[in-house]
Amino acid sequence: MDLSSILNASLIYATFRSATPIIYAALCASLTQQADILNIGTEGIMLTGAFAAVAISYTTGSWVLAIIVAMLAGLLMAAIMAVANIKYGADICAIGMGINMFAIAITKFLMTSVFGMRGTFSNPDIVAIPRVVIPGLESIPFLNEVFNGWALTEWFVIVFIVLMWFLLFKTKWGLHLRSVGQYPMAAQTAGINVTSMKYQAILISGLIGGLAGAHLSLGYSRLFTENMTNNRGFMGVAAMFFGNAHPVWTSVGCLVFGLTDSIGARLQAYGIAAQLVLMLPYIVTIVVLSISMVSKYYTKKRRQSSLLLIR
Amino acid sequence: MVENIVEMENIIKNFGLVHAVKTGNFNLRKGEIHSLIGENGAGKSTMMKLLYGMYPIDGGSIKVRGQLLENLTPKIAIENGIGMVHQEFMLVENLTVLENIILGFEPTKGSVIDFDLARKTVTKFIEQYGMNVQLNKKVHQISVGEAQRVEIIKILTRGAEVIILDEPTAVLTPQEADRLFEIMENLKNDGKSIIFISHKLNEVMKVSDRITVMRHGDYMGTVKKEDTSPSELAKMMIGREVFLDLKKEKATPGEVICQVKDLWTSGNKETSKVRGISFDVRAGEIVGLAGIDGNGQSELVEAITGLRKIEKGSVTLDGKDITNLSPKKIRENGMTHIPEDRNLRGLNRQLTIKDNLLASRIDDKKFKHHFLRKDSSILEESNNLIGEFDIRPTDPETLLSSLSGGNAQKIVVAREISTVGNLLVAAQPTRGVDIGAIESIRSIIQEQKKKGIGIILISADLEEIISLSDRIIVIHEGHISGKIDVKDANEENLGLLMMGGKDTSREGLNLEGLNE
Ligand SMILES: Nc1ncnc2c1ncn2[C@@H]1O[C@H](COP(=O)(O)OP(=O)(O)O)[C@@H](O)[C@H]1O
Ligand SMILES: [Mg+2]
Repeated sequence: MDLSSILNASLIYATFRSATPIIYAALCASLTQQADILNIGTEGIMLTGAFAAVAISYTTGSWVLAIIVAMLAGLLMAAIMAVANIKYGADICAIGMGINMFAIAITKFLMTSVFGMRGTFSNPDIVAIPRVVIPGLESIPFLNEVFNGWALTEWFVIVFIVLMWFLLFKTKWGLHLRSVGQYPMAAQTAGINVTSMKYQAILISGLIGGLAGAHLSLGYSRLFTENMTNNRGFMGVAAMFFGNAHPVWTSVGCLVFGLTDSIGARLQAYGIAAQLVLMLPYIVTIVVLSISMVSKYYTKKRRQSSLLLIR
Repeated sequence: MVENIVEMENIIKNFGLVHAVKTGNFNLRKGEIHSLIGENGAGKSTMMKLLYGMYPIDGGSIKVRGQLLENLTPKIAIENGIGMVHQEFMLVENLTVLENIILGFEPTKGSVIDFDLARKTVTKFIEQYGMNVQLNKKVHQISVGEAQRVEIIKILTRGAEVIILDEPTAVLTPQEADRLFEIMENLKNDGKSIIFISHKLNEVMKVSDRITVMRHGDYMGTVKKEDTSPSELAKMMIGREVFLDLKKEKATPGEVICQVKDLWTSGNKETSKVRGISFDVRAGEIVGLAGIDGNGQSELVEAITGLRKIEKGSVTLDGKDITNLSPKKIRENGMTHIPEDRNLRGLNRQLTIKDNLLASRIDDKKFKHHFLRKDSSILEESNNLIGEFDIRPTDPETLLSSLSGGNAQKIVVAREISTVGNLLVAAQPTRGVDIGAIESIRSIIQEQKKKGIGIILISADLEEIISLSDRIIVIHEGHISGKIDVKDANEENLGLLMMGGKDTSREGLNLEGLNE
């Protein structure tokens, strides 16, 4: 096996490419997590977004419109979750799983009934999110390989991570959201409308989840297949736990998933059993989560110990 | 004409079946300190939370500056100049002091919070009232006294003219309380109107202009301080004359039953970590552990009773090393435990009286038949205990959720006393129960002492510690700050020790282990 053909310049983009959809999903989960709401429904919101994007792109030929509608579709799914959880007190995990199953069913149904397709919906008329070609970069092979030809939404995710961080830690809204997540009574006595903040968190997270789906079906690929999110939403939730819902650390977690995914794809070319390779992202998810939980446990224990002085 | 800044009339508030406030009346004049007193559960906090818009009222009216306020929310209350320091502090632990103070009222520059401006404004208030707080610390790093000042500054920066303080002195030493009273006096001289909730009559007599009394959700009347006396207030609060001066049984302590040696254990807060505590308990004596809540007493109790891991040191019971044994094993060795939070650890609210009474003896041969419970003996024993400890209602099948605080606590007491072997750990045994139950629980504890049981009593209530204990150990930030014989103890010297005072145990403190 030739190591240099696995670890080369193109691996950098491959990693980032596989990570991006998960990063969007993870940011979707992080936002609600900051309000102490576990967004298990990320997977379903994302899947709905992915389908809506392809459907609109195919019918209108506009990727911009496709993204907008995908985000609205995500918003709609999130709204169901928000009302069920906040207004009617449904358990958030139960309703989240409900949303996930519903999303699989409704996308499959619409794909067959409206577009008459089975399994995969791909068509030359589907307009993808454009890829950015940086003029002049062709002359520098390494940079060219790493940076040229990114989808617009892949560049945008970097902006988006910073934006989320700014929103959460620098703005009034972010401070309110975090206080609602950590001690709702304190937020209430400060005149903050806790219910409204929770609605806002879930709904905005729906928009992000829709965007995650649109990127998956129109940026990462240019088609829709049944259950195409393939657990990326859950990986996003795992990365969110790993990064403690902090946008930057959460994204780092996603990059780890992206790396295993792209290395796995290369290993397959060397005849390593496909099943093993396919397992890789999930094994890494479990390992990463275990490491982050164990390290959190020990950090907490150390912080509480009487035998150590903490400054 | 004196102006009433707040008028609350015929207020009604129910929580499900609980009638928290039945006839709530309260008015506040501008520039006065008006105390609201009553026993635990009388509805004082509820009354004030209604004024602050935390819950909607079920009946009655609330007027501020003569204007009727309907559908009150905290936001509207704040806009009307009402500020409340809650019994449980409303501070977000992981945010900084500054962030907590400006929460909800952040000055912004563009879309960003303007922390520089915020710091400037807040500092102005801090200096004006001479309150010392550290703005950059996270809330979990500061002391209770400081947290309380943060709360006061928080409401002042929001422009509060009416300041509600809900049992502010419960978490303070007598000396810290005096400092709070000075701050209150400053605020009053500045034209603010203050509502002071308490059930400590001496404090109330010290600071108030007028006093309103509540009992079981009912308004009992409002009096001027000059026209009343502590005993009259007590009678209004309780409905009969009560003297909690229980005659103390003289201690005739025997052998050492329990030995705690250089015990170290973890704590959620820096100040509540137990760092090297040693003491003995002998048979037939009550050792009182005094201290302000959050100074490690709870952690110490958990360590002794097997609920928290002992990181260093040892506990012996009757000569046997019980360090880090399971709570069940420790019970089998003769120790029982009245936990400080009956709803968290003492009781299962969804089960019946009989299940709760016999929860710790479910494995007893007497109460089981192979894998099944033996209902006849369970019922019989429950009825005995119900009679002996005067628990009401007397039907052992009653669900616990319908019991009052006092009777619920009696169930915990009955269970722990009926199974005690040689040592009873009683943590806050009378917290949140009515006066009648306080009297009976205290005399039950005294009886156990007479029988030769060793008792560790933990209480935030100095009066309880002084009236029950034979020896008093004061804990401050996880160390013993003093040991006093009860003959020499008074509120003054205990209060001083509770603040760290003179600290004998720290001399020659064993510092190994700190850097491991
Ligand atoms: N949020 C609530 N839900 C249910 N019952 C409550 C609630 N708040 C208070 N209560 C009940 O209302 C009564 C009065 O409580 P409270 O106002 O806290 O008394 P106080 O402050 O005088 O000790 C108590 O019986 C208490 O258990
Ligand atoms: Mg209260």
